[in-house]
Amino acid sequence: MPETIDITLSVNGLAHELAVQANVTIADLLRLELGLTGAKISCDMQVCGACTVLVDGLAVSGCTYLAVDADGREVATVEGLATDGVLNPLQQAFIDHAAFQCGYCTPGMLMSATALLAENPRPSRAEVIAGIDGNICRCTGYLPIIDAVLQAAEAGAQR
Amino acid sequence: MIPRFALARPASLAEAFDAWDATDGDASWYAGGTEILQVMKMGLARFGTMIDLKRIPELRGISLAAGDGALVIGGSVTHREIEVSQDVARELPGLVALEAHVANIRVRNQGTLGGNLCFAEPHSDPATFLLACDARVRLQGRGGTRDVAIDQFITGPLETAREADELLTAVIIPPARSGEGRAYEKAKFRERPAVSVAIRLRVQGGAIAEAYVSVGSLTDIPVLVPDVAAAFVGAQADAAAGTFGEALAQARARLGHLDAIGDLDGSPDFKRHLAGVVLGRAAIAALSEAAARA
Repeated sequence: MPETIDITLSVNGLAHELAVQANVTIADLLRLELGLTGAKISCDMQVCGACTVLVDGLAVSGCTYLAVDADGREVATVEGLATDGVLNPLQQAFIDHAAFQCGYCTPGMLMSATALLAENPRPSRAEVIAGIDGNICRCTGYLPIIDAVLQAAEAGAQR
Repeated sequence: MIPRFALARPASLAEAFDAWDATDGDASWYAGGTEILQVMKMGLARFGTMIDLKRIPELRGISLAAGDGALVIGGSVTHREIEVSQDVARELPGLVALEAHVANIRVRNQGTLGGNLCFAEPHSDPATFLLACDARVRLQGRGGTRDVAIDQFITGPLETAREADELLTAVIIPPARSGEGRAYEKAKFRERPAVSVAIRLRVQGGAIAEAYVSVGSLTDIPVLVPDVAAAFVGAQADAAAGTFGEALAQARARLGHLDAIGDLDGSPDFKRHLAGVVLGRAAIAALSEAAARA
């Protein structure tokens, strides 16, 4: 049986040294080993975006990204957005606009929007739509989500 | 769950081939993993060893060949890196436009052009465009290096001319000639294109002197359709001109004879019709680039 591989990675700023099987995805590592269940596994085929996390600032599908590939890198998840229990402006904008109902897509939406705003702090509406193009929401019809991301951008929200 | 495997992480091409030789052939290369890990997860493939290509510097980077100025894209360059490359935007803007709409941002951040071509999924964006662009891939193995034209490389759905122990080290796209325009358009309802069309035109003296058209997602592999392309030759290089409109109508009629495959994206008739629609858009985009390169 293949041996485990020692990796070091940072998750939301916290360093971890872990021994992982090569076939374990970053979503399973986060959810099952580290107890960070924000990233959801839904379609499990890189289509829905519910498992979106950032690796070195880039959005990836946690369901199909190997944990070993995050070795030496910085992983950001929805759990890292708030500071001392205070929501960040993007999260607050989602509440202000009621940009979710069931909430299942929300962690992925927030992380995709986080990556978008880090790269493009003042996106146009079209750029927001393109930025969350790969995240599926079955409740809201997307309009409140787009409005929330635009509000967060306006607030100069991004860290 | 992805079946268990041993991982090798070579830091050079030489180490990669050593890693391969250390297996009994029950191995696969992987870079982004957006295709191979997915099929492994679905139980359609499993390998004793996966060899990660992301740490190999020789597979990285986008450059222009010293001799003819061809665009050379390393085998592990991601879709996103191509999408934001200034070199590609200048040399082959159609590829930037294509990459900006491959799947979704996560797949583009992770997946590579080389991996996409090696997977040879029939509903893939880049192969169709690269076919019309007369691109080739560079394959390297223990025995040496060979360049293979895209139409020789993709041999069937999910099948290529690459030997299992060979690596796709680069994709090479000839530079645009004077008066040449290259464009790709698609229609899609899901993650992958429903139909895709690429066209390469060369304009001389105000008329289309040369044309190549390829179609993807209609047949089991992307194919050149010379009779469709021939309809454009001789037409005025002006989207508003009558001869161009007639050429496009003729090209669309010829597309209608293509032996297309119906699938979840639509019936053969519907897909042929869609291909005709996007062919018009692609031809107009190619004319516009050709004018800029006049």
